[in-house]
Amino acid sequence: MTETKYFHALQILTDNCTGCTACVRVCPTEAIRVRDHKAIIDSYRCVDCGNCINVCRFHAIIPLSDPLEIIHQFKYKLAIISSSFFGQFTEDISYEVAKQAVLNLGFDQVAEEAAVTDFMINIIRDYIRKNRDKRPILSSNCPSVVRLIQLKYPSLLPNLFHQEAPMSILTRYFRDKISKEFGLEEKEIGIFLIVPCIAHVTAVHQPEGAYKHLQDGAFSIGMIYGKIRDSLKELQNNPPSIETYPKGLTWALSGVQAELVDCEDIRTLSVNGVENVMEILSRVEDHYLDQYDYIVLRTCTNGCVGGCLNVENPFVAMSRIKKMIKEGQGRDFDFSELYELYQKGEFAVVPLAPRPIMELDKDIKKAIQKMKQINEILIMLPGLDCSACGSPSCYALAEDIVLGKASIDDCVVLLKRHSKDSEEVENQDKDKIND
Amino acid sequence: MQDSAVAEFEMSEYWYINPGWEEKVEDFFARKREPEVVLELEIPGKDFNIAGKGSSEIKNLLKRLGVDSEILRRIAVAGYEAEINVAAHSQGGKMISNVYDNLIYMQFIDNGPGISNIQQAMIPGYSTADDLVRELGFGAGLGLPNIQKNSDALHISSGLNSPTIVEIIIFF
Repeated sequence: MTETKYFHALQILTDNCTGCTACVRVCPTEAIRVRDHKAIIDSYRCVDCGNCINVCRFHAIIPLSDPLEIIHQFKYKLAIISSSFFGQFTEDISYEVAKQAVLNLGFDQVAEEAAVTDFMINIIRDYIRKNRDKRPILSSNCPSVVRLIQLKYPSLLPNLFHQEAPMSILTRYFRDKISKEFGLEEKEIGIFLIVPCIAHVTAVHQPEGAYKHLQDGAFSIGMIYGKIRDSLKELQNNPPSIETYPKGLTWALSGVQAELVDCEDIRTLSVNGVENVMEILSRVEDHYLDQYDYIVLRTCTNGCVGGCLNVENPFVAMSRIKKMIKEGQGRDFDFSELYELYQKGEFAVVPLAPRPIMELDKDIKKAIQKMKQINEILIMLPGLDCSACGSPSCYALAEDIVLGKASIDDCVVLLKRHSKDSEEVENQDKDKIND
Repeated sequence: MQDSAVAEFEMSEYWYINPGWEEKVEDFFARKREPEVVLELEIPGKDFNIAGKGSSEIKNLLKRLGVDSEILRRIAVAGYEAEINVAAHSQGGKMISNVYDNLIYMQFIDNGPGISNIQQAMIPGYSTADDLVRELGFGAGLGLPNIQKNSDALHISSGLNSPTIVEIIIFF
């Protein structure tokens, strides 16, 4: 619990926390405990999935992202918009209007993830064909999925798609281009992402696997949405004529992305929702899904449209994006420069190191001893998995006790039983005296 | 395991030991050590939702012990196939996983009706699975060969109208 090495884009407002344990129960990596009536997050185990933020009714776990003001520290400001952004508005707000509104916030240029979707599909296919020895290839765009694999399924790390995500590819491309075009030093250019989830905010502030400095900040879609709402109406009356890439919005939808990669020699599977992702990763580990060449994995419902920084429901957002894709006019982004960079290996990422959380001990004999102790304690516990002790399950409490992080007295149910028993004994004693 | 043969039925048995592991397997049976951790699980017949849970549980348990991922995979595959076999071909049974500090010894004991010809059952592609089982995507005849491929030792004893006992050893 004392590990502070890892940054996470969320914060616990201790004053608001009631110690209700709702977050404890939804955490996929069992990273949260309630101790002394307050939630504590183990930063080593947290994968930034956002489940705890979504479930907290007391506004005690809040997402963190950067304030818009930071853009003024840079001479040239570029915003890169994640695809799910365009699903947040009512249908009368066009892609052009939403994009122009972001530009009006004070950016010099706005680019979007959707612009490089075709390019991504092509390099994903190329990568799969060049790495046939590893099956299946797992998508690496969702930072939560990558963390989950590092923590719980480290044997699958080599299967990750070892190339940058689209927004990082755009960052690399534009930083170089802007620098040359305007004669600016790289550090004078501020590149910011507008993102749907805290995992992307964390990834910007603590990139793993990147060879170079990437973005300078990450803004929440919800925050940007709030700031542009007023200007949308005005822009609607005077629709701008700017470049858009509606056909590429598929990136926000895990199912559609998988369908696009799927072709004659590549079979794909799409999985979303953190529980589903974990079940599938467990089966991939056992080679039961080797019939697939590529698996798109996203921890949020329906993919990035389900991220905790969005404002619209993931299903409504998905439907709107699908409509935009269907009705949109395809425009081509010139990929030739990107291909050259890809061929040179410029987008390759460093293989990630495992961050195992499963082992009880490095030494198997000690691990067995600990497991025996856990089992002995487990038999004593009520098996209700009520979380009232502050650990997610009876098993987790038993483990916490063995690892010295909790005490058997933390079990509320046992405590109640004991007090009842002693009451009965007392009553019996009284009866005896009365006899 | 030698006690497991039931005398009144005509039993047959099948042995496989991964070449190079003969001494270790022999030593294991000779020493009759107490397992460190035992996990016992009922496998109901024809219930493919529950079948597979045992091997998945065992995999998670062994992950906690820090067992190498490739060995984990072999255990998960062999265990899963054996569980499916109990669910698909028998009237149900149980899975007992005995964990030692250097190996796992899994026993699958079902309630019959038994395998009439084990040698035949070991041929890849040979299957006696009924239509229900095939409809669910099982019964390709690769179960037992797949178990053998992933095991360090495999012992099967069975006979017509008697229980089938499948024993698997995989070293860490």
